Amino acid sequence: MFRFILRRTGSAVVLLLVLSAIIFVLQAVSPGDPVKAYLGANASPEAIAAKREELGLNAPLYAQYLRFIANLLHGDLGQSFRTHRPVLTDLQSFLPATLELVLFSFVVAVLLGVLFAVSGSLRLKGGALFRGPLLLLAAAPPFLLALGGIVLFYAQLGVLPASGRGVDSSSPTGFVVLDSIITGQPDAIGLTFQHLLLPGVVLAIAPAIAIGRILRSSLDVTMSADYVRTAESKGLTPFAVLRRHVVRNSIGPGLSMAGLQLGFMFAGVVVVEQIFSWPGIGNYLAGSIPVSDFPAIAGVTLVLGTVYIVTNAVVDILQVAADPRLAA
Amino acid sequence: MTDVATVRDLEVSLVRDGVRSDVLRGIDLSVRSGEILGMVGESGSGKSVLALAMMGLLPTSAQPRVGGTVGIGDTDMVNGRPDELRAVRRNELGVIFQDPMTSLNPTMRVGAQIDESTHDSAESLRLMTAVGIADAALRFTVYPHELSGGLRQRIMAAIAVAGRPSLIIADEPTTALDVTVQAQVLDLLRELRDEFGCSVVLITHDLAVAAQIADRVAVMYAGRIAELGPTEEIIHRPTHPYTVGLLRSRLSLDTPRDRRLLTLRPETASAAERLKGCAYHSRCPLAVEQCGVEQPPLAPAAEGTAEVSSTEHVRACWRSVSDVQGYTHDTLDAPPIAAAPSSGASDATQPAVLITGLTTVFTLKGGGRRRRQVHALRGIDLSVAAGEAVSIVGESGSGKSTLLRVIAGLAPATTGRVQLAGRGAQMVFQDAGSSLTPWLTVGDILRERLRPLKLDRAATARRIGDSLEAIGLPETVSTLRPAQLSGGQRQRVALTRATIIPPSVLLCDEPTSALDASLAASVLNLIRELRSSLDMTVLFVTHDLAVARLMGDRVVVMTQGTIVESGEADAVIRHPEHEYTRSLLASVPEIGVLS
Repeated sequence: MFRFILRRTGSAVVLLLVLSAIIFVLQAVSPGDPVKAYLGANASPEAIAAKREELGLNAPLYAQYLRFIANLLHGDLGQSFRTHRPVLTDLQSFLPATLELVLFSFVVAVLLGVLFAVSGSLRLKGGALFRGPLLLLAAAPPFLLALGGIVLFYAQLGVLPASGRGVDSSSPTGFVVLDSIITGQPDAIGLTFQHLLLPGVVLAIAPAIAIGRILRSSLDVTMSADYVRTAESKGLTPFAVLRRHVVRNSIGPGLSMAGLQLGFMFAGVVVVEQIFSWPGIGNYLAGSIPVSDFPAIAGVTLVLGTVYIVTNAVVDILQVAADPRLAA
Repeated sequence: MTDVATVRDLEVSLVRDGVRSDVLRGIDLSVRSGEILGMVGESGSGKSVLALAMMGLLPTSAQPRVGGTVGIGDTDMVNGRPDELRAVRRNELGVIFQDPMTSLNPTMRVGAQIDESTHDSAESLRLMTAVGIADAALRFTVYPHELSGGLRQRIMAAIAVAGRPSLIIADEPTTALDVTVQAQVLDLLRELRDEFGCSVVLITHDLAVAAQIADRVAVMYAGRIAELGPTEEIIHRPTHPYTVGLLRSRLSLDTPRDRRLLTLRPETASAAERLKGCAYHSRCPLAVEQCGVEQPPLAPAAEGTAEVSSTEHVRACWRSVSDVQGYTHDTLDAPPIAAAPSSGASDATQPAVLITGLTTVFTLKGGGRRRRQVHALRGIDLSVAAGEAVSIVGESGSGKSTLLRVIAGLAPATTGRVQLAGRGAQMVFQDAGSSLTPWLTVGDILRERLRPLKLDRAATARRIGDSLEAIGLPETVSTLRPAQLSGGQRQRVALTRATIIPPSVLLCDEPTSALDASLAASVLNLIRELRSSLDMTVLFVTHDLAVARLMGDRVVVMTQGTIVESGEADAVIRHPEHEYTRSLLASVPEIGVLS
């Protein structure tokens, strides 16, 4: 098990290096001169040449890559052309908002997914009343769900806000719900949670179905497995059979799907953040792409890629922990 | 003597593939204290459903409808409350299922799985020792996949005896195991009975397995008991035509090699017709008019006696005992099979298969540890003459299937070489159900094989019809899909696919081990006939020595990737040279020659 974790961590590091190389190459071959983007269209040729030298753009490509990696390791992601601040600083101010949204949304997705799977597999009464509408909602693209949600809950019913996080993002940790819980401000908790609810649920619907369907089919397979029959023949109660014999054996496919969906959610957050004016990296990215702000794009891509790779490594390790046969 | 379980008028109907059918149709049975009762029947006879019904574990997905009662202790397993049934399963019943690999939770340490029944690790360890597991303390914390098949089945046995049950139900406990392990598990069941004083219901498709340890045997057919009595009586003085047929179609090491194998008649009656009278009537050589219209009751076999004795022999048949036993002694001679082409004649020509210095190494990728290498074949030299039939016998893991797959080109040779003469090789697999593409019709499957011949439409259809007819299938099956066929028909289709363009070499990988005895015999007959009519060389892989002797001119014994013995079939069986061959032979369940 320990060796497996070590190996899996090693391969994650290699993947990260590959990712950084891809980002670097994209940056190098992309059209548009970063120096011009940085200095503006009216800069003099001398100023451009001086800036090129200063940014090290005249050095050979491999040297530029090594410098890129070295800077990365020092936390230096370059300067954003658009905001004229270090990309790292930008990420530090935008990332917490996204993390809060995605993690909340992920928890909602897993809860809905498990409910979907269990109500279906155990044939709970009324389960179809829950699964039907959920399936219907998942058929709509997220932006439509978001707009529909705003029209219904904000414009018509007036129960939920339509944009922002409710408070200034520059709270101590950047996680505003967390901050308001720590500092014990019930009003702020309510307010920030209200803001989180609509974008969080909109983002969660499609992943919930993906997780739920996979989990349901593996639950169904496990419930009819021979060893479940053996467990029943021991005279265990249905709940004990479920808890001791079914859950662990059916969790694998659900875990990998949940990991996959968590990765997708970080990518899907761009649209949702824009619609809800959520001050996260999705919005930041959306602002950076049109002006070819490559350091910013590279920084966000690197963060998203890292999240994706780390999530998948964690899922792999969890799967081996759940099923000892995989470690053999 | 008291009865530990009493089954009265048990009727069960289940929904399978959307069709409701009567699986058990009135079973009356008592399991006596301390006895081993063998329940014998072919697949579909309802014997496993009976076991599940006795435990109150009929699958709810099959929407069971149950009539009658199953009394265990004071509880009715049919109508009792769920918590009462669980109490009976905890305290009175132990179960051993067919495949210990799938019947144990793969993600739970075996010790914990026994603890679930004992609630006491010390008791679990004691039970593990009691069922013959050496180093119980070491094995306590391993997972099922880290144990051999035999040890896994012993873990199942330890779970079964936990809580001192009064009855152990063993559903085909030996079918998934190698013969040498099979014998150990049967011994274990007998020891458990002797040591723990429990009764055992042993469910099996093999009369010889039941005969080895059972005190009484019940023969089931189509959801009813055909015959029930002391083992000696059933084996040596059977009184039901079906029992007689089973005993005669069973293959043993004495079965004449030069004659057709005896088989039961194929089923010709529809499901409705079978339910009207005796379900066996359309296959019964002794059937009279009454058999087709009225169901025979279970009545004492000894004529004129009405009193119930502990050794009572009962049967459900309209014909008299003397008629049935008279028939038993009739016509033991079967027609000879068409003479096989003599293999000695072609010595001078090139061999059909020539294998020299063949090794195959598989590399398994581990998740955690380094790569492991499995030496499936370690230096095989084998030459098979054209027209010869060679049987390859071995237990699971001996490399026999790998050898066949290398010859067929389905697995790589690491070193050494395989030379095939003539028109190449075709393969028939064990599980015809999964070796036929489910969404293609039989016609599509066969047409695919004929494509290289570039025949026109009419010629293709004619060729398919002829081949199906030669193999004993009506031409109409070509429009059906594999799922619509029976197991025996599917294996015939697989054979047709392999021989529609006759290959030089036919490779058979346990083609009959998933089939009932009588069906298996008919498929074996067919392969032998095809061999001579199509002039093929046959390589036949099996784990069954009796089958190996019948199918091969020569028998090759394999273990751990090497050939340990090879020789003329009868010579190997009668005078085994190698230690391993002898241990295989000693483990074959035999019921002796039928008088």
